[in-house]
Order: sequence, then structure tokens, then C-alpha cells
Amino acid sequence: MPSNYPGFRYGADRETFSAAKVKALESLLIEKGVITGDTVDTVLGYFETEMGPFNGARLVARAWVDPAFKELLVTDCNAACEAMDFPEGMSGAEGEHMRIAENTPEVHNVIVCTLCSCYPWPTLGLPPYWFKDPTFRARVVREPRVVLSEFGVELDESVTIKVWDSSAQIRWWVLPMRPPGTEGMSETELAALLTPEAMMGVATVSV
Amino acid sequence: MKLQHNLGGLEGLDPITPEIEVFVEPWEKRIFGIHTAMMALSNHLDESIPDYDIEGVPTTFKSFWTWGHLRMGAEGMHPFEYFRLRYYEKWLGGISGFFVSEGYITQEELDARTAEFLEDSEKAEAPLPSGGEKAIDDQVVKYLREGDSPMRPLPAPPKFSLGERVRIKNVFPAAHSRLPGNLKGCVAEVVKVYEGAFTYFFPTADGIGVPMPVYSLAFKPEDLWDESLIEPQSIYYNDIFEVYIEAV
Repeated sequence: MPSNYPGFRYGADRETFSAAKVKALESLLIEKGVITGDTVDTVLGYFETEMGPFNGARLVARAWVDPAFKELLVTDCNAACEAMDFPEGMSGAEGEHMRIAENTPEVHNVIVCTLCSCYPWPTLGLPPYWFKDPTFRARVVREPRVVLSEFGVELDESVTIKVWDSSAQIRWWVLPMRPPGTEGMSETELAALLTPEAMMGVATVSV
Repeated sequence: MKLQHNLGGLEGLDPITPEIEVFVEPWEKRIFGIHTAMMALSNHLDESIPDYDIEGVPTTFKSFWTWGHLRMGAEGMHPFEYFRLRYYEKWLGGISGFFVSEGYITQEELDARTAEFLEDSEKAEAPLPSGGEKAIDDQVVKYLREGDSPMRPLPAPPKFSLGERVRIKNVFPAAHSRLPGNLKGCVAEVVKVYEGAFTYFFPTADGIGVPMPVYSLAFKPEDLWDESLIEPQSIYYNDIFEVYIEAV
């Protein structure tokens, strides 16, 4: 039975207060020369255009069509990023040391950061709320199969689930399996099939 | 003991809430941006691998701010508050508290301006102040592009080797730790010895923050949980700093 845990949607008063407080903080920091009037928008714009799951999707799509590239991606994720025509910055903040875990018919991978929310910013952008939720972080390390089934991923009993937690400085993500029925698709079409959840191991890819 | 250090395996929780949004309220974006700017302007970047002229950046921010600082705040909270507050609510409390404690703003001016916005919806919706030194934003973008690699030369050869069985030490985590508490005393296998050594920038009482080897460790579920609680056909991996590991 679910408890009265509020999930992520709280009452209007609580949100109005936080909105007022963060605006008070930001305006004071601008006035005092800590940041500029454009700093926060500059950061947010960077995540819309430069660092985001669109990069991870292109890497996975390339790996699906090019076995040599897949080998590079799974052995040295940062080198694989270098080999793409990405703009500078794929080994930037929170992506200095990245690793990807490859799903196969025998092995399914899922990522977690039990202690907080470590995440590979250059390839996946910023983490969705479920990933930051203490419920997911607490449960997936012990009962990954049950948690995955709550996300709609039902795995055969023979499949080994590998849970990759990040308590040090390596940032993890997942290389999903290419779905059937995608033969002949271009890399761009394949990349469009990918979601952040698939590249975190809580969804599979389908056409 | 801090509950925040011991989340792994907590029982009795709800089904997953599969909220895929990164921000569920627009205000959350602002505190994320402020935190990222603080990371990009932190005074420790004068010793980073990328060549940042951090002292030359025309910001009044002259403090040391890393993930460790943010996390220590969250780990130091009343545990029930930790669970009552949503992710970015914790950030807002920790970051505004830091600016007050470091003397950039006073609690009174923060409270007064917050009250002003709450009382006057026109002011609350008015644009933020504009202007400022563009070189600040240039440094923020440079940081996002070039990062702050924690990799350093090895100070000594790694103590453990590939394939070795090791045990997680029973360390006292103090205010901030990068060791999940449920792993203490558990046995694991070294499946990768990472190249080089890793710093954490932020020195913790339990010993990280100076360059040291990091290992990928594989834990069998039966070495982590009681038999009645385990899921077969699963392996748990974690990247662990050497100071948390001992020989079996």
C-alpha cells in the first residue's frame, strides 16, 4: 500500500515560498557581483544545446551500426565521445570520467547513485526526478528486478541484472540493446528511439 | 549514524514514482544554475587540471564550493527533514545558508526580500537585475566545457589487485562520506583497478579528498543482504575509494 508520501508535487504555498526565496537569493547575488544577470540562463541554455541526452542517443545509435565504435564506447567512453563530431566539452563537467555498461540478451544494467545523484552530464544531461528520489536509490540496490518491473521492464529470470552505483568519480550510463525491426534505419532515426530512461537501464527501446 | 548514509536496502518504501521531469517547478532551475555557477567559480579551481585563471575572474565569489559542500549539507540535515524536502528544496536551503554563513548576504536581507516577493506579486514577477561582468559567465561556460577532472598521479601503487577479495572497512563517516553505510563489513571482488588516482577535492574526516586509487568492486547479493531479502541473478557494483577498503 502506498503511504501518504507526497511524491514530487507539493502545495502551492510551499512552491510560492521557494520561488520567492530563490528569486530573492539570485537577485541579491547579482547585485553583489557574485554572478551576473545572465549567469543562470547561461547555465540552463548550455544544458538545452550542448550537454543532454541527445548526445548519448547519438553515441548509442553509432554503436548500434558500427561494431568497432561500440567496442571503443564500452572500453573508453570519453575516447568515443572524442571520435564524434561533438562540440568541445564532452569530457567537461561531470563527464571527466564516464563508463557505459552494455546490455545483452544475458545481462541487463541499471545505474543508481545511492548517496545522491551522480550522473554523466555530457551524455545524458541532468537526471530526472525519479533518479534523485530516495525511494529509487534505496530500493534498486537490493531489489532491482522488482523496481524494474515497476518501470514496466520485465526481464526473464535467466537475465543477470547488474546495478552500477557511483560513490566515487566515475559517471555511469547504459548502452541499451538495439530493438528488432530497426534494420535499415539511419543513425538519426535510431537516435530518435532513445530515451534517458533507456540509457539509464529502466526502459527498453522499441520501435 | 546518519540515515542519509544508509539508504541502501531500506525496507517498507513505496512503489517508484516514475517522474521523468528534471525540474518539477520552474524555480528549481534557478537554484541549479546558482549551484553550477558556484562550482565554476570555486577558489579551488586555481589548482585544477584545466587552466582556469580563477583569481582573475571578476566575481566577488571567493569561496571553496564543490559537490562535497552541497552533499555535506544534505547529509547533516535532520533525517526526517531530508525525506520531507524535495531534492532542490534541500539545495535551496543549503546554498542560501552557505551564502549567509560566508558573509555574502545576511539572513535578514534574504528574508526581507523573500517577504517582499511574497507580498507583492508585481515585484515577484518583475525581471531580475541585469548586467554584470561577462567574464564571470565566460568562466562558467569554460568550466562546463573543461570540467574539473579529479584524476591525479598515483601517490603509491594500488594496495589491491584485480580479482582480489576485499572487505569494506567499518569507518566512521562523520559529517560527509562517499561510502554507503550498508556496505560496511561486506566482502567484494575487485573487478577493475582504475588508472591513476582520484581526489575528491573536499577533505572528509573519513579520509577522502587526497589522491588515492579507486576500485570497481562487485558484491554478490548474499554478501550484502540476508538470504530472505536477496534477489537471485543480480550483482551490485560500486566504485570505492581505497581508504574505505581493507584486505580480507
